[in-house]
Amino acid sequence: MSVAAVHYDGKTSQRSAVELSCDGVSMRVLGSGIDRAWPWAEVRISSRVGNTSRHLDFPDGSQCETADNDAIDAWLAAQPGASRFSVHRIERRLRYALAAVALTGIAVWLGFAYGIPALAKQVAFRLPASTERLIGADALRALDQTRLGPSTLPSERAAQLQKLFSSVTADLDGASNYRLELRAGRRLGANALALPSGIIVMTDELVALADDDRQLVAVLAHELGHMRQRHALRSVLQNSTAAVLFAVAVGDLTSVTSFAAALPTMLLQAKYSREFETEADEFALAYLAKKGIAPDAFSALLERLQRAEGATAGLDYFSTHPATRERVERSRAKR
Amino acid sequence: MHDQATVAFKFNGRAGEYFAIWIVNLCLSVITLGIYSAWAKVRRKRYFYGNTLLNDSAFEYLANPWAILKGRAIVVMAFLAYSLSNQVNPLIGLALVLLVLVVMPWVIVKALRFNARNTAQRNVRFGFTGGYGRLLVAVVLPALAAIVTLGIAFPYFLYCKDRFIVENAAYGTTRFAFHGTVGNYYWASFKVFLVGLGFLIGSVISFGIGALPLYLLARSYAISTMARLRWANTSLSEIRFACAWSAGGLFGLYFVNIIAVIGSFGLLVPWTAIRTAKYQLEHLSLGPASALSGFVAASEAQVSALGDEAGEMLGFDFGL
Repeated sequence: MSVAAVHYDGKTSQRSAVELSCDGVSMRVLGSGIDRAWPWAEVRISSRVGNTSRHLDFPDGSQCETADNDAIDAWLAAQPGASRFSVHRIERRLRYALAAVALTGIAVWLGFAYGIPALAKQVAFRLPASTERLIGADALRALDQTRLGPSTLPSERAAQLQKLFSSVTADLDGASNYRLELRAGRRLGANALALPSGIIVMTDELVALADDDRQLVAVLAHELGHMRQRHALRSVLQNSTAAVLFAVAVGDLTSVTSFAAALPTMLLQAKYSREFETEADEFALAYLAKKGIAPDAFSALLERLQRAEGATAGLDYFSTHPATRERVERSRAKR
Repeated sequence: MHDQATVAFKFNGRAGEYFAIWIVNLCLSVITLGIYSAWAKVRRKRYFYGNTLLNDSAFEYLANPWAILKGRAIVVMAFLAYSLSNQVNPLIGLALVLLVLVVMPWVIVKALRFNARNTAQRNVRFGFTGGYGRLLVAVVLPALAAIVTLGIAFPYFLYCKDRFIVENAAYGTTRFAFHGTVGNYYWASFKVFLVGLGFLIGSVISFGIGALPLYLLARSYAISTMARLRWANTSLSEIRFACAWSAGGLFGLYFVNIIAVIGSFGLLVPWTAIRTAKYQLEHLSLGPASALSGFVAASEAQVSALGDEAGEMLGFDFGL
């Protein structure tokens, strides 16, 4: 059996038609002015990719190109000790391709939903305290420069709040380095956030919004929940890891628009925050229960926040929180 | 005479076939935490190159996946170092950015060389001879000039960039030649600028509704105009090229691609890749076809893959 091919000598771009034949031991190239036989073991045959033509490279740098993939595959299969595995065999079967779709989906989902968060958690809890302090101080400085302003609360009110904070952290172990920073919220409005290394930021607007200090205790407990679970650090780690992995995984599809590429990461970010919020809520409610404070201190403030949020449009930290209604109901159920 | 005729590139890739290659690539890349992606890239490129025919001879992509993996690992580590250092101290991040700016021209040159060296047709490899110093003088200086002059020198930068890429490329031992003039580039850029202005005005008049399609149209116009200009001024020995990309053609292509990718949650990416390659290649021709046989191959030399990977991640993959 012979196969039609073209021959290139490797020195010029000249092409000539030849016939290839194989007796199992050697390969013969026969054409006008060419008649050579090469030992089979010395012929390098490109692996099959779809139906693209195959290239057979010979030791002298010459090459044959043929579109007859099936004949080449038959020759390869007839060799003793021929490997039966090739990526092409997987790609050729529809059910394998469909299995690959499902497997990819499951692996990606598992990786993003469990793998990365677990990894981030490990790293966040193992980070040296000095590094965490550095990150925390840096984050606060960045917030001060871009979003927050100096607090305008009267000094006695500020001292009161600091005392309140000390009383909340008093019976938590390892809370000696925790500190409360009061700021004007500006565009962030009524808000509170937990930064790495024990910094809790509360805005004047939030202090003004609360009916009484019990509600502020509830918020502080919520932020302490974030703090003790190192949520800030974990979300940074999760998001950057997710972004890198996504870039690597889709390195294969450079043609996708950046929008399509960024979308899933953004969705996942929102979900991470929700899970963390729920965790912090649970911590806060447990704390309130321990202190004998009715959980409606928390739900009342949440409801006020939601009302205030309706008034202030734009970028809002609280927009990634779980639906307020859901949280209010959960805190009511604890009663 | 038949041999004097021009011949168009032919692209034989099929969406169904490529879908299987694509999804297996993706699946194995995900399962191996990205390690297989180097092999995936080689298979993808081999599929596209192998389906690109010029006078019945296919192109070949010859890169070694191990070289790509090595380059990819370095790029990923650099990126990780950057994003982590930014969390610790923005100053370190800034220093890294400066370092990247210094290394970037080297990366670009390496990428161009790696891609060229690993592309072959008729058993003759392409090559790229530009180096770091030459890139600095020929492209980076004009780029700085474009910034300093607030864009007035930008067409000059485009001219220098195209000239650098074309004149340093070679097929075998034969260098490509570039015939464009600065005047050509200013005229083309002026037209692109006017269309861009039209996009801005149209977006405002339609209260933003027309912004996306108009942007796509302006972009299609820019890409097709510059590509036609580049190819019309490129020659290889006596072979001249002709590019027939049109703004309307590219617009239809991109518009449908975006809708398909979003609407199918990414599953139609292979289909869009195939139809894009088909349009781009089958609207490119050269002649006279008879001259294709006369090229002499260059000797072998090994080129590291690092530049290629870094280049691709940063959007510097210069395809055909």
